[in-house]
Amino acid sequence: MLRYVAHRLLQAIIAVFGVLTIVFIVMRFSGDPTLLLVPEGASQEAIDALRTELGFDRPVMVQYIDYLRSLSHFDFGVSVVQRIPAFDIVAARIPYTVLLAAGAIVIAVGVGIPVGIAMAVRRGRWLERSLAAVVLTGQSMPSFLSGILLILVFGVILGWLPTSGAGDLKALVLPSIALGALSMSTFARMARISIVDELGKDYVRAGRARGLSLAGVVRRHILRNAAIPIVTIAALEIGNLLAGAVIVETVFAWPGIGQLAIQSIQSRDFLVVQVIVLLISFVYVVTSLLADVAYALIDPRIRLAR
Amino acid sequence: MSAHATPSLRAARRRAGRAPVAIVIVGLILTVILALALLAPWIAPSDPTRQVLMMRLKPPGTLAASGQIYLLGTDDLGRDLLSRILFGARVSLLVATLSVLVSTLVGVTLGMMAAWFRGWIEAIIMRLVDIMLSIPAVLLAVLTVAVLGPGFFKLILVLGLTRWPRYTRVAFGQTLQIAALPYVKAAELVGAGTARILLRHILPNIAGPLLIIATAEFGLMILFEAGLSFLGLGIQPPAPSWGSIMSVGREYVERAWWIVAFPGGCLFLLVLSVNVLGDWLRDRLDPQTRIR
Amino acid sequence: MRRLTFVAAILACLITPAAAQTAKQMLTIDAPNDAATLDPHLQWDADSYGVYRNIFDNLLTRDATGKIVPQIATAWRFVDDTHVEFDIRPDVKFQDGTPLAAEDVVFSIKRITNPAFKSPQLSQFDQIADAQALGSAKVHLTMKTPYPVLLAQLVKLSIVPKAYVERVGDQEFNLKPLGSGPYKLREWQKGVQVTLDANASYWRGKPPFGTVIFRAVPDVSTRVADLKTGRADLIRLLPPDEAIALRSDARLAVLTVPTERVGYLFINAQAGPTTDVRVRRAIAHAIDKQALVEALLQGFGKPVNSIGAEPIFGYVPAIAGYDYDPAKARALIKDAGAEGATITFLTSPAYDRRVVEAIQQMINDVRLKAEIVVLDQATFLRRRQGMPADAGGLALGVWSCACQDADGTIFPLFRSGSTWSKYSNPTYDAAVDAARSTLDEAKRLAEYRKAYEILREDVPGLGLYQAFASYGARKELKWQPTPNESLFVMDMSWQ
Repeated sequence: MLRYVAHRLLQAIIAVFGVLTIVFIVMRFSGDPTLLLVPEGASQEAIDALRTELGFDRPVMVQYIDYLRSLSHFDFGVSVVQRIPAFDIVAARIPYTVLLAAGAIVIAVGVGIPVGIAMAVRRGRWLERSLAAVVLTGQSMPSFLSGILLILVFGVILGWLPTSGAGDLKALVLPSIALGALSMSTFARMARISIVDELGKDYVRAGRARGLSLAGVVRRHILRNAAIPIVTIAALEIGNLLAGAVIVETVFAWPGIGQLAIQSIQSRDFLVVQVIVLLISFVYVVTSLLADVAYALIDPRIRLAR
Repeated sequence: MSAHATPSLRAARRRAGRAPVAIVIVGLILTVILALALLAPWIAPSDPTRQVLMMRLKPPGTLAASGQIYLLGTDDLGRDLLSRILFGARVSLLVATLSVLVSTLVGVTLGMMAAWFRGWIEAIIMRLVDIMLSIPAVLLAVLTVAVLGPGFFKLILVLGLTRWPRYTRVAFGQTLQIAALPYVKAAELVGAGTARILLRHILPNIAGPLLIIATAEFGLMILFEAGLSFLGLGIQPPAPSWGSIMSVGREYVERAWWIVAFPGGCLFLLVLSVNVLGDWLRDRLDPQTRIR
Repeated sequence: MRRLTFVAAILACLITPAAAQTAKQMLTIDAPNDAATLDPHLQWDADSYGVYRNIFDNLLTRDATGKIVPQIATAWRFVDDTHVEFDIRPDVKFQDGTPLAAEDVVFSIKRITNPAFKSPQLSQFDQIADAQALGSAKVHLTMKTPYPVLLAQLVKLSIVPKAYVERVGDQEFNLKPLGSGPYKLREWQKGVQVTLDANASYWRGKPPFGTVIFRAVPDVSTRVADLKTGRADLIRLLPPDEAIALRSDARLAVLTVPTERVGYLFINAQAGPTTDVRVRRAIAHAIDKQALVEALLQGFGKPVNSIGAEPIFGYVPAIAGYDYDPAKARALIKDAGAEGATITFLTSPAYDRRVVEAIQQMINDVRLKAEIVVLDQATFLRRRQGMPADAGGLALGVWSCACQDADGTIFPLFRSGSTWSKYSNPTYDAAVDAARSTLDEAKRLAEYRKAYEILREDVPGLGLYQAFASYGARKELKWQPTPNESLFVMDMSWQ
């Protein structure tokens, strides 16, 4: 088991390295921030001088080696746009995204899974169909649209919740709904499917014949077996959430790293983008490693098949 | 069908879940949407890119001096919304279908291969999955556009590139489970070829969750295209797509709600139908009802 | 350790409920982005200077009519064409109590012109060869050549405290700026908001609000929602359609001003079908500027005949433009044999998409084929300022040099050798070169007249409209926005 984990950790480091290299090189091919920094009337000489001062006229390989060298001292560089360390810029925004992701997952799992179970257990009845319709709205509306609608209804018209910003927990509600709605649908449908699958199996009939209530069977056996696809989906949904966070953060003026990522790409603030990429890929490989370990724990057949 | 339907067939029919009536309705919706998209050049009342600056933001049912009636209203450049939605359907459907096809084919194949062959093949494929999943989709989209320039096929490429790993992970996990089952081992021992095993035994068994994902992805691709349009990276103007129409319309959601409501409604119907159909197909295809 | 404190501080902010707003004493301004830097010698974008111009004073400033007037410098004399002397106000103190003296002015100039400092603004001040303090109240500047735009550029030079900057270093100064202006920094939540407190001992008088908060809200619909719910008192960057809708709300007002920003159409004279001057003239005849301004800009703009506007020195309104005549345009296209020719129309999300699409249709109506290509801003600039073959046939631009002078407008746009210019005409070059090497205003005007007439003949670019800046505000806010789009809180008050 330990060897498995160590092995996966090594692979994770390779993956992170791969991401960093790809992103580094691709970004250098997309230009540099010099033109964005200089005033509009700057002459060619002024532009070239600034480009040289910032180091962007060196060959890509040289810039890459230089970057790796500073990485080895844990120096992530100083942003050319904001002139402060790139790491600090990202670190200041991480808590906001974590909070938003947590809020969205609470909505997605807390609403999605019970809805999915209800849909599975009450199949064919009107409850399932109405729940299905609710779940579907979350899946068929773009978040920039649901965002502005939520702001208009709950912020402007009803005045219950703040219209923007990240001041307090009240401000977290609307963005979490906007971000979580999409994942909620996926969790609900996946939960429904897994449970429907299990309901058809022999052991369920056996359990019920033994006198267990449906709820008891669900609780004791089904949830455990249905967990595998749900765990996979959960790991994937984190990636989805990060992608969707960009738009939700922009609409709600929620200062997370999603918004920072898109702004930094557009302003070609390479160092900040690289820190974000390193961070996200690190989070990604850790969660997928945990998911794999969870698989192996839940289903001994996978562990033993090696 | 024999009059003495076995208990398992009855169970299967019961387990098929929804009453067929709903499926018929849903199938009808999909056919209508598809037909409208295909026939758009002939049935659209105007050129979807024809602007009439004096007729900006007119509500549905407006009658112009020229006698033309704007059934669904006009957008922020005075273009007929109905025509734009019809032509936009073609673009959105095409984008969604092609990108889902690309990502499913690539993703499922790689996932099954990784789970079947294990060893270094699994290592490489899953590392690739990790790498692709670690790069935020938006970053990938912006970078691709920045380096390669915008365009329809590049859009498909970006959408396909960001989504295939999801299928791989699920296909991988599910294939591992199925491959461990006794009858699959038995097939191997009997000497069945790899391709045969993968296609005939494993694929149908893992199709369930994959179908769920694919149908969810279909609507998602249209939403993603909308998101990219919101960020300025989607379909190049003035070509319409439901995503770009909605992205424009969100600024006018209070004053000109029709610009968002109609394409939004169409999208809702489309996603609803695809998902319901997908769920029903999945129930029908459940091999556990077939084997017995 | 510092990083942990960051995280802890943010978590603390999130858990504490937002403090109740004492409405009158606090002003909240919504801007599209947070300030990139608060060091006034670094980033120069509107989001940054909108904030730091309230923390720092500048050497000179402009009054409500746009005329250059004293601020830190009380008077100035041109000793000769390349030497200027400035008198410095004696009664100005920085926010930590230390007095502002000539050496701070000299330090500021040397800092911003130092290539090692890598200031993006360097090119605006690089004509200054040397600066010297003569005593504590006089500064002597030496120029490399006679530079008529010097005073306009000095309007943008903020004075920083030499002692403080040298003591804390550049990075710390960026995070904790200290100036002599009406507001001092209380707190900067990067990416979120900047909070400023009034500087009670400000030399010009008591600042109007006790606290000012600049919030970063990227989405315009959200900014409008903030204004409606009172979360913001003033919002920047209000598009025309939103502005019209706001007017119907009795509690709100739209503040607008014609600026020195000019919307123009770049036409590539060195590559593609537009190398033929007949095609360029046809395009000029094909654009209905009046329709653009009325229908799309909703009147928040004014058509112009050339690439200039009233606040810009050198602009000659008398020079006729090209009237809207699609028939004539079609005839010219036919003449040039360019029917059906494809022209790439480059743009980015920074420019009004509807104007781009409307212009595309106007051009297609005269039998050309304009294809829109939307790039991100960095790529757009790279292509537009790169090789002529890459720069597209057309591009929309909204140009401002923030100097209110044609030298900052048509010089970089069309003089050969400039990165923006895809046009080469030695007579034109001679005219704009002459205009920038003399301080005699009459001579300069004559040269610019020549230059504008050449531009009219050759049409390497087409002036479309003078842009208006629109702000949404609470009705109680009294403020007249300025043509150079500065955001001085000192000029605002409650009525």
